[in-house]
Amino acid sequence: MSGKVMGLLKRIHTRLRLNSIQNVITLSFTSVMLLAMLIVSISLYHLFSDSAERNAVTSTQQIIDQVSLNLNSYVAEMMELSDIIRSSLTSDNFDKDELSDILNVTAKIRKDIVTMVVYSQKGDVIISNPIGVYNKNFEVTTQDWFIELLNNPANYIFLSPHVQRFFENSHPWVVSLCRGVTYYENEEPIVLVTMVDMNFSTIEQMCNNVSLGKRGYIYIIDEYGNMVYHPQQQMIYAGLKTENAIDALTREPGSYFDDHTGEKRIMTVKDVGHSGWKIVGISYVDELVANRKYFNGFILLITLFAIAFEILASFFISAKISRPIKLLETQMKRLETGDFDISVEVKGEGEVKQLSKAFNIMVARIKMLMEQIITEQEEKRKSELKALQAQINPHFLYNTLDSIIWMNENENYEGVSVMVAALARLFRISLSRGNEIISIGDELEHVKSYLTIQKVRYGDKFDYSIDVDSTLLSRKTLKLILQPIIENAIHHGVSPLNEKGIIKISVSSESDKILFQVSDNGYGITPEILSELLVQESTSYHGSGSSGVGLKNVNERIKLCYGEEYGLEILSEVDVGTTVNIRIPYNGL
Amino acid sequence: MRLIKNISCITALLILITFISGCLGNSIMKSEDQIHIEVIVKNRIAPFWTVVEMGAIAAGREFGVNIHFDGPTDEKDIEEQINMVQRAIDLKADAIVLAACDSEELVDIAHEALSKKIPVITIDSGINSQKVKSFIGTDNVGAGEKLGQALVNKVGDSCKIVVMSFVKGAASCDQREEGLFKTLDMYEDIQIVDIIYCNSDVDTAENLTVEIIEKYSDIDAIVGLNAYGTTGAAKAIIEQNKVGTIKIIGFDSTPEEVRYLERDIIQSLVVQNPFSMGYLGVKYAFEAIKNEKIPNIVDTGSTVIDKDSMFYIENQKLVFPFTDGLSDPTVIP
Repeated sequence: MSGKVMGLLKRIHTRLRLNSIQNVITLSFTSVMLLAMLIVSISLYHLFSDSAERNAVTSTQQIIDQVSLNLNSYVAEMMELSDIIRSSLTSDNFDKDELSDILNVTAKIRKDIVTMVVYSQKGDVIISNPIGVYNKNFEVTTQDWFIELLNNPANYIFLSPHVQRFFENSHPWVVSLCRGVTYYENEEPIVLVTMVDMNFSTIEQMCNNVSLGKRGYIYIIDEYGNMVYHPQQQMIYAGLKTENAIDALTREPGSYFDDHTGEKRIMTVKDVGHSGWKIVGISYVDELVANRKYFNGFILLITLFAIAFEILASFFISAKISRPIKLLETQMKRLETGDFDISVEVKGEGEVKQLSKAFNIMVARIKMLMEQIITEQEEKRKSELKALQAQINPHFLYNTLDSIIWMNENENYEGVSVMVAALARLFRISLSRGNEIISIGDELEHVKSYLTIQKVRYGDKFDYSIDVDSTLLSRKTLKLILQPIIENAIHHGVSPLNEKGIIKISVSSESDKILFQVSDNGYGITPEILSELLVQESTSYHGSGSSGVGLKNVNERIKLCYGEEYGLEILSEVDVGTTVNIRIPYNGL
Repeated sequence: MRLIKNISCITALLILITFISGCLGNSIMKSEDQIHIEVIVKNRIAPFWTVVEMGAIAAGREFGVNIHFDGPTDEKDIEEQINMVQRAIDLKADAIVLAACDSEELVDIAHEALSKKIPVITIDSGINSQKVKSFIGTDNVGAGEKLGQALVNKVGDSCKIVVMSFVKGAASCDQREEGLFKTLDMYEDIQIVDIIYCNSDVDTAENLTVEIIEKYSDIDAIVGLNAYGTTGAAKAIIEQNKVGTIKIIGFDSTPEEVRYLERDIIQSLVVQNPFSMGYLGVKYAFEAIKNEKIPNIVDTGSTVIDKDSMFYIENQKLVFPFTDGLSDPTVIP
């Protein structure tokens, strides 16, 4: 199973050429960009949500501060109103009508003031605005706040929302500011209680005119956690909605997270001076989240587009980069098939240009070398052919056969048999089954056969000696390299001599080379001729009767076979003799 | 070849991305159509229903739905109420919150609404239907029991009483009677002299009470089963100078009743929670539109108040609908 999967993966891999330069560039480009984009998106997102939350908190706080300021001044106004009533009551020449006028005017100006009442110590109404049918069932003296103010007349008390019971037929919801007033009559302290009832119009206006997001709102609680104002007061009263008023009560001014409704909300608490009230602003975190969702969508959109664009771009860029390389690749493929007639158009970026140039040079060089090899091979064949031809030189054959016939006529049968055997050996080794390389032993055997034949022809004209290091006999050498040298030595060295000629042949090792040495004690060669020997076709020098294969041929064959450092070296001194050194590698093929 | 393949791949990818982002954009921009809920009550103008309306509007504001509040001007105008439901169906309301004038007559039209996939939520007074499942209102049997207990507390366990009921056959009426009798059955010395039906009309109640006082001069108390009966009885008692002699234990808390309670003409009232009915009616209608599971019966509760306890802070909230003071429904012109 896994093998199958692996196979499939491998197929996909090969099919898509995932490791091609273009794809590698595209992939790495894409992943790097993807990573970068992710990092940017995520940090952007965090940045946004953090600042959104901070902004929400700050703006909520600012709004709450503003409302608090307004409420403070509202409460201060109410305090001032009760101050006016108080100062009027405590003035030396208290005039009830004057106070009544003040109250009338105030009631006309202030639509939020429902009722203003001054109670006597016994709970009787001294003055009220408006005047109406008082509720006989309402005994103010039983009220906690009234008792409290009689005991501590310097205090003021804010009463949380309650139903006003002052008049018989009217029960509006009000908040009240109650204060004690003390004045002295005949040195006796007399305590009065003033009460100002306010409706919620002004408070509501102050709290409703601000917006804390779509669903956020402001509520006010008193020092006991009672709801003073709430935009959904009726729902609070009906128990359909609750607020975490107790929590808000214990909080210092500031912003807090609140989740008592199960929703995440930011609760901002702020005190209102004098009254002991607290303003609580509620803003919903999920509204920020809604914005965040929108923002997320936006980021995602942009990221996706950027990725798409980036993939496209990296595809084209990598295509542009890899195109010249691909061109090079196809050309190399052609090279693989053996087509050397190619040349790459040199263009593209710096490195690719260099590469193309180098490739072109390389191809040209290979082509040149190939041609050179072909020429060399050709020449090698030619020289070998020549060498072979030399062995079956008709002149030599004729002379040899002539000698055999001559020996036969003189009934020198032993000589005949030696000659024929030598001739046979000569040809066997020359051919040597077409092998170009033979052992040194065979080569020497060949030379001996040749010398045997020549010695019969030339009689006692020369002697020869072969000195060989027997360990070298099995070493390999190019065949037929000694015979042309010896032929030369006989023809041009020793045969013109009046005395007996001597030809010395030696084979020795010389470091990593094998040295063949053929020396004679002939006339020698003049330097002029010597300098041309290995350069010119030697046929002109040899004249008829020679094998036609000169030293040059041997020299070239050795060099072609083994390299330039090998070959012939001719040392000659006129009237002293000539030595030819042949060097081949010790480890020749 | 490979280039073409790659390009087509990328094109496909681009199309996909555009598609996805399109969907995303749609979901972001999508806004809900304004939901429209019809609230049809028994009486458009009576104070009790005004508070129901306040609750419905509060819920409408909270859930962002349009509320259309309607109802006949006379609780007995069943025909008119059926027409109103029909109109709501024709207007393709998303849901109907119904306080039925009659528990039988409204069944057919309610079923028609249901057949048109308009959820029907009943408040205060339900209908006799197995299909209309949700009812939000006072547990009337329990409220009747409390009424009986209030009678015992104010008048004693040995007395003669007359029960001022309202419409025989109306579900709330029958249930309140049932609860009342359940409590009274426990007191052997409480004698129910008569049960009269005022047809939810103050004048009828007043006239009937006058008759009753003439007929049974020795009764100790009148038990009113709804606001009309209670108010009418109180008026008759004042008229006949029987305040204090014949006590009144009543139902609901209209401003007029509250005034009588403060003046000790009415001794005790069982107060319902109309604001919650309106609010929860709309809330559950909204949830029904969204195919959420809603409870079958929601008891909005009832409380017994008297002259003293009515001003307890927790009772004030029930008895006197909260207003900002500019428009005060408790002020009687």
